[in-house]
Formats: sequence, structure tokens, C-alpha cells
Amino acid sequence: MKKAITLSLILFAILYVGRSLVPPRYNPAIEVKQFAQLPILYKGRLKPMDTAARNALLIIHGKQTYKDKSGERISAIEWLMDLTMRSDVSDDYKVFYASHPDILGLFNIPHEKAADFKFNFSFNELLPHLEEIERQAKLANTEAQLRTPYERSILKLRQDLVLYQQLAYSLASPEYVSSLEEEYQVYLGLMSAGVRAFNQQQAGEDHNEEALNHFMSFAHRYQLLSETAAFSIIPPRIGSLESTSWQTAGQSLIETIMTGKIDEVVLAYASVIDAYRSENHGNFNAALTELNTFIEKRNNTGWNSFRFEYIFNYLSPFYLSLTIYVLVFIIVCLSWLVWPVTLGRAAYWLLILAFSVHTLGLIARIFIQGRPPVTNLYSSAVFVGWGAVLFSVFLERMYRNGMGSAVAALLGFCTLLIAHHLGGSGDTLEMMQAVLDSNFWLATHVVTVTLGYSATFLAGFLGLIYISRGFLTKSLDKSTAVAIYRMVYGTVCFALLFSFVGTVLGGIWADQSWGRFWGWDPKENGALLIVIWNALVIHAIWGKIVLERGLMILAVVGNIITSWSWFGTNMLGVGLHSYGFTDSAFFWLTLFWLSQFIFIAIGLLPHGYWRSRLEDSRQ
Amino acid sequence: MLLKIISSLKLTVWLLVFSLVLVFFGTLDQVHFGIRATQQKYFESLIALWQYPLQWPLGESLHWLHFPIPGGYLIGPLLVVNLIAAHTTRFVFKWNKAGIFIIHLGLILLLLGQLSTQLLQEENYMWVEEGKSANYLESHHHDELVIKDVTDSKVDGIVSIPIDLIDKKPSSLQHPRLPFRVETRAFYPNAAIVEGSRLTETSPEMIFNRGLGFEKDFVVWDRPMTYMQDERNVTTAIVDLVGTDGSLGIWLVSNVFDETFPAQRFSYEDRDYEIVLRIKRTYLPYKIELIDFSHDRYMGTDIPKNFSSKVRIINSQATEDRQTLIYMNNPLRYKGRTFFQAAFDQQTEKSSMFQVVNNPGWLIPYISCGMIALGLIYQFGFRFIRSSRNKN
Repeated sequence: MKKAITLSLILFAILYVGRSLVPPRYNPAIEVKQFAQLPILYKGRLKPMDTAARNALLIIHGKQTYKDKSGERISAIEWLMDLTMRSDVSDDYKVFYASHPDILGLFNIPHEKAADFKFNFSFNELLPHLEEIERQAKLANTEAQLRTPYERSILKLRQDLVLYQQLAYSLASPEYVSSLEEEYQVYLGLMSAGVRAFNQQQAGEDHNEEALNHFMSFAHRYQLLSETAAFSIIPPRIGSLESTSWQTAGQSLIETIMTGKIDEVVLAYASVIDAYRSENHGNFNAALTELNTFIEKRNNTGWNSFRFEYIFNYLSPFYLSLTIYVLVFIIVCLSWLVWPVTLGRAAYWLLILAFSVHTLGLIARIFIQGRPPVTNLYSSAVFVGWGAVLFSVFLERMYRNGMGSAVAALLGFCTLLIAHHLGGSGDTLEMMQAVLDSNFWLATHVVTVTLGYSATFLAGFLGLIYISRGFLTKSLDKSTAVAIYRMVYGTVCFALLFSFVGTVLGGIWADQSWGRFWGWDPKENGALLIVIWNALVIHAIWGKIVLERGLMILAVVGNIITSWSWFGTNMLGVGLHSYGFTDSAFFWLTLFWLSQFIFIAIGLLPHGYWRSRLEDSRQ
Repeated sequence: MLLKIISSLKLTVWLLVFSLVLVFFGTLDQVHFGIRATQQKYFESLIALWQYPLQWPLGESLHWLHFPIPGGYLIGPLLVVNLIAAHTTRFVFKWNKAGIFIIHLGLILLLLGQLSTQLLQEENYMWVEEGKSANYLESHHHDELVIKDVTDSKVDGIVSIPIDLIDKKPSSLQHPRLPFRVETRAFYPNAAIVEGSRLTETSPEMIFNRGLGFEKDFVVWDRPMTYMQDERNVTTAIVDLVGTDGSLGIWLVSNVFDETFPAQRFSYEDRDYEIVLRIKRTYLPYKIELIDFSHDRYMGTDIPKNFSSKVRIINSQATEDRQTLIYMNNPLRYKGRTFFQAAFDQQTEKSSMFQVVNNPGWLIPYISCGMIALGLIYQFGFRFIRSSRNKN
């Protein structure tokens, strides 16, 4: 019976993981999946269309899917298809978000009415206000840190509108014509007469005014297209996709003046767009297949990394492991009340499953980006969690009391939740600034320092569980308490090792890049705080200044210090490391610190107030 | 008794607590005062006085709040004393504690190394244009008042006066190589200089009567000093040169008057002079020529991917003449100085800036940190192996 429970729990989790391997469901009549895997060059990185769609919708709408009026869910890629090929349709999608009362006032929209649509607006609804939005954005404070919430909201809205427009101009001009293919042929037909007239006009000779004007209207149209487009869609003609000369549709069309021939990829895109606009599904699929063959001809790497990234996107391994971590935590907590062995074992194996998914996601990211695991705040959150879970798996194997599983699940969940929210600002696989462009130092300094965060948080969260179990339940007996004490002590030792070595490696990197080992930069100081703190804890133990409960309280203080070093220092906006600041982060950080102070206060309560009867065992 | 306190672990823990406080407030204050000023106030001092920032909530009513924090020069030495005392009185050497000895020895070395860096390290910079060479460094923060004897066009007789000799007014300075005294009439640590606004009534009265300031009708406004990383103070002074027969004239000098401004020249006793307040220079016995500057961007974006400078070192004394490449994470180390690729001219992309550092103790952190890391691995590795053996 008990074995059956363990097995069915694990089976359930495996099925759950397996289910997410199935690709999302799209409109079955057209090959959305194929379109989603088309390669583009966007923000310096080659990626599938799907990634651009998800990131853009996430930035503008805050979600990776959109629910239309009838309540039907539209995937990001389908939204992007409408936006880039049929913007007259997508202009009615209520994807923009504005809830600040002053912005609603600016638009003259009553609060209740806006609330009916969850403060979402379509492009067409915003159209009459574009000029005013632009004017207000110009009036906003130029210094980002001094902006009011209203100014931040209006700038965000303007930014979203700009991105929306850029996307609309990325495949072809959104100004509707009956057939793009025809348009391009007309352009080609006008070209020789137009160019001749242009040259004559430049030389001050007689020229055909009509031919010139007609031709120039096209040239201007494509110039606008090339200036506005968000991403490049035309791969370079010869050689691998890695070479640099990717072009936007507009650039390629302008270049036609020199070559006299429209690029086959541009033409293939035109037939795809025409078929999509006329809702001719058969033609669309055929044209898409043709487009794909043209693009693949130019890719001689032989490996389709875009397909891989597409799968990575819908699999979303971090979200997946996040949900399993929740399950693990619930099971471990149950195991402390009933069936400790059975449930403990089930939790352990589920934890291994979640950790494997987490690890695979991490490896996939390394693979896609060609970089060590930590390159920005988002990936640091993913990695802090990963490191902490790795350490806890070791602890669980050594002590087998469920504490390792519990703390792993808790930390895995929290860090991936943080990552999930940090991911809202766009592509999490962005390009690195030149100063940071060193795989060697990213792999050594950043990884070790981040493992130092992991270990310090691990000690702190063990402390949290100790305090909550001791205060709220009777389940914390003497032997468990001693085991936790040992776990925390060992973890702090590792935390000191990793944070020290990581900080020193950072110093060496700084010495190599800027000629100074230490510059008292906020992030450096933050790392130093963690080192000093861990050293302090160890000395306090050796000097018998703290005993069991004291160590737990110190470990919880470590949470505050580590979170300060991780996020707080970035918020100061000073120094070389001040990247990735988010406004709402400050609120959550304060809340976290408050919660930690409450735990510390509970930890300081006299024994009589605790439900678990513990006398300090280490006298 | 005293020795017992000095060598105690309690003192260690307290010192660590104070260093946490120091580092924390030394970070917070950077928001308002910049890294450099904060570094001096907290880490290079005995006691720092923290003040409740005006910008914080209730800043208006709590700005009076001060409290003292032990500074870097107090905590550092005390930590070293505490360590040495502990090792001479309490510690007994055992092999399973050898790691601790190495860690603590490395730590002492690290603290001494940081002290030597803070005292001896010089940070300057050098701008070079493509196809040209430079033989001097410029200071990030210091300026100098220079009076050149330019009578003989081949040899410049240069007299350099450090700013701290003239920054108090009134001051009078007689340099042995100058036939006149330099008297400071006004000194501005940071200033705004505007042209021709003497017409408005609120403008302060300007007393200079010679040179650029007089000709261009400049007005100087006092400004609060800036400590921001990418800003520089416009150091400005109004100086009176006084010969044996009275004043030669009063000049306006400022470090914003660079090569694009006409030189301020005058004659005295049949010799020609030039007066200039400029960014403090350090001349090198060799030249650095920039052959080529290049930089790549990530494809399809403006994000720089890397930048590098191909330079030629020309040292006529050592008859050295060779080429080398300086780029991110690959500095040039030459004659005790290290040249780092720091910046470039964003508009022309034809000139390059090097950060030039002279730190005789640059190897110390490498050695000391290596020792500490080894000690930590030995100590905790030892414990880890032993405890997992106990488990089995």
C-alpha cells in the first residue's frame, strides 16, 4: 500500500513532465509550428520567430498568451503572425496595459470602464492618443531614478507602442496592398526607368518626372520599412548563418536597386504573407515550405538550433520544475506528520526528478547561448536555486531526515519564482556587454560567487525550517535539531569557501580588466559582506558565542545579507555591476527582509513559547 | 587580562560585526557621494561619521542624525593585532588545524596588501589619437597650475604648482624659479563658466583684467563639488601675478580651458610666459603610439562586443620599439605601469583611452588570496571527509 503510494506519486509526476513535451495546440489548418521556427536576427542573436514573439508579448502584455474577446487563447506566435502579416486584425487585440489613474484621465476613460477590460487596450483604441503619449513621454524626467510612477507608466506604454510598431514593420509594410508579390514585381518593373530618371535629375538633365516619382514612392516605402523593422529576416546568401550580413526586408529591397534582382527569401516571404492575408491555408503551407527550403539552403551548419530553442520555449523546464518543487515540499511536510519513511522517499525521488528537469533547462540555456550558466540577474536566480538544490541533495543523502528535500524544494521554488518574474523584461538570453564578455571569468568568478549565494541561502532556509518547525509543531525532536545544527554548520563552511574564492576571482578579473583588485564597488562590497558574515558565524560557533538556536538565527540573518548583496546593491545604481534594476523588486525585497526579521524575533522567544520542547543540547 | 581580551574570539566577532556595518554604510553612501569620496570617508579613515541622508523618507527631520562608525584604518589594524595575539597565546599547532594558520597568515598579508595599495597605487589615464603618440598620463582627480617659460620655442621651462598650494584664498606663493609671486584671489573647486552674462544684475563682480576671461567677458559661478563617476569638477581659480613693481595682471584659469582655447600668454622682464590650469600630468620616459583602434558590435545591434588598440611602445632610452595589442582583459604591463583598454571616442572611433595604473603591490592579493583559498579547502575538506567517514 505504502509502496503503491510512492510509485503512483512518482508516476504522476513523470506523466506530468511527459505531458509538457507535447507541443502547444495552434490553428490546425496552418503550419504555425513551422513558422514559429523560422530563424531571425533580433537583438544581436539568431533565434526562432517563436522566441521573439514570446518575449515581445511578455513585454507588452505581461503574459506569453493572449485571451481574445471570446475568451479564446491565442499563442504568442499566432499573435505575432497577425501583427506582422495582418496588422489590421491585431490592431484590435487588447494587448496594451495601462492602469495608472492619470493615464486613464489623459485618455478621458472612466476607471470602471477600463477595469471591465482589465485595463487592457488595443492599438486602435490608443491610436487617437498617440501624439499625447509622445508629448507626455518627452516631458518625463530624464533621470530614471527620479521619475514618478506616472512618468514610468507613460514611458513604458510608449516603449510598448514603439516595439509594437517595429514588429509590425518587420516582415513587410503593414500598409495593406492586395498582393505583395505583385507589388514587388511592379517595383522591379519601374526600377530601370526610375534609376535612370534619378541619375539624370542628379546630373541636372531632363528626366521623366513621372517615372521618377513613382519609383521614389516605392523607395521611400522600403526605406521606412528598413528603418523601422525590429529584426532581420534575410540570411546572408553564401556561407553559414553566423556571418554578419543579415538584412531586414526593407534593406534587401533597397539593395535590389544595385543587384536588379529581388532576393528569393523576400519573395518567398511575400507569398507567405499574401496567402496569410487571403486566408488561403493550402497556399500558406506550401509557401512556408518553400521559404524554409530557401533559408535552409543558406544554413550549412546542418543543425537546426532554432527547432531546439522552439522546443525549449514551450517545454519551459524551469516552470515545470518549479511546480514539482511545490509538490515535493508538500509531501515532505506531510512526511513529518505521517509515514516518514514512505513519503520521505517519494519526496526524495520527486526532488531528483525536478532537479533533473532544472539541470536540463540549465544545460539547454548554456547550449543555446554558448555561455556559462550565469550571464544576468535572471540566470543568476535560476543558478542560485540549482546550486542550493544540488547541495541539499547531498545533505539529504547524508542525513535522510527530509530536511534536505524540504529545503531544496523551498529554495528551488523561491528562486525559480524570482526568475519567472525577472524574465518579464524580455529576452533572458540577451547579449553581454563588452566588459563582461569573457567566458573564462563568467565560468569561474560568477559561478563560484553564485554558489556562495546558494550555500548561504541554504543555511538560512534550514534555519527558517528549524524555527518554524520548532515554534509551530512538536515534530522537532532533539536528534533532528542536532542534525540540522550540523547541516547548517557544514553549509556555512562551504558558503565561506565559495563566497571567498568567488570574490577573489572577481578581484582578479577586475585587476585584469581595470587594473585594480578591489574598488569598493557596491556589488564587490556585497560579496564581501557575505564573506565576512560567514566568517563571523564560524567564529561565533568556535567561540561558543552562539549555540544551536543562536546559529539558526545567525543563518537567517545570512538570508538578509545575501539578498542585499544579490538584489539590493543593484538598486543603488552605482558602479560597474548596476545592471538589471526592477522597480517592483524593491517592494518584494523589503517584504522579504520584514519576514526574515519576524523569523528572527520568533527565534529569540524564550523556550516556553515554542511547541517543540528543546533545551539547548549543546551546552 | 588585556592580552586575554585582545586575543579573544569575542573581539574577533565584534570586529567582524563592525566591518559589516562599515562596508554596509560605505556602500549606501555611494549613492549620494560617489565611490571615491565614500572610499576616503569610510575605508581610508579611523572613524567615519554617518549622517541620515536628506533623500531618505523623513530626511528633512532626521538629517541631524549622526552616528560614528569605526573606519577601515581602525578595524584593519585591530584585526591584525587580534589575529597575531590569538596565535601567540591561544593556538597550539596541530596538523588538523594547519589550514587555519594558513588562512590567517594569508588574511594578514591581504590586509597589508590593501593598505599598500591604498597608499601607493596611482591611477591615471592616457588619451591617444590614431597615428599620434603620447608621453604623459593625466590624473582622474588632480589638477595643477602650470607656468611655462616659452621664450625659447625649443625648450619649455615648466613650473608646476599643485592645486593644494593655491586652493586657499588669500594665499601668496613665491616659487624659486619664478620672478613673480602667485596670489590666489578666488578659488572654485567646481564652477560653471559662462560667456558675457556680465550684463545681468545678479552676476557676481569679476576681478580679472588680463587673458581669456577678460577678453571673452567670462563670468564664473560657484558650483557644489561633484563626486559622480563620470563627471569631473571644473577646477577654477582667479590668480594675481605680482612682480617687484606690483601686479602684472589678474588671470582666470580653469581646467576646462583645453587646447581648443587660445593660450594665455604674457611677457615679464623680457621673457614670455604662459599660464594654464590643467589636469595634472605625469610625464613618462617613453611614448605610446596608437596605430589602430578597432571595435566590433554584436550583429544587427549597437552593443559593443569588444574593443582593442594596436599600439607601439617607443622607448628611446632603452632603444625599445615594438608593437602590442591592448584589449579587454588583456592589459599591457610595462615598466611597473599597467595600461588597460578603458574607453574610446564614441564619435570618431579614432582615439582610445587607457587606464594606467601603477601599483607596486599588485601581486600581494594574488598570493594572499591563494593562501586563504588553499587553507579553506584544506580545513573544510578535512572536516568534510572526516564527518562523512563518521557517517559511514
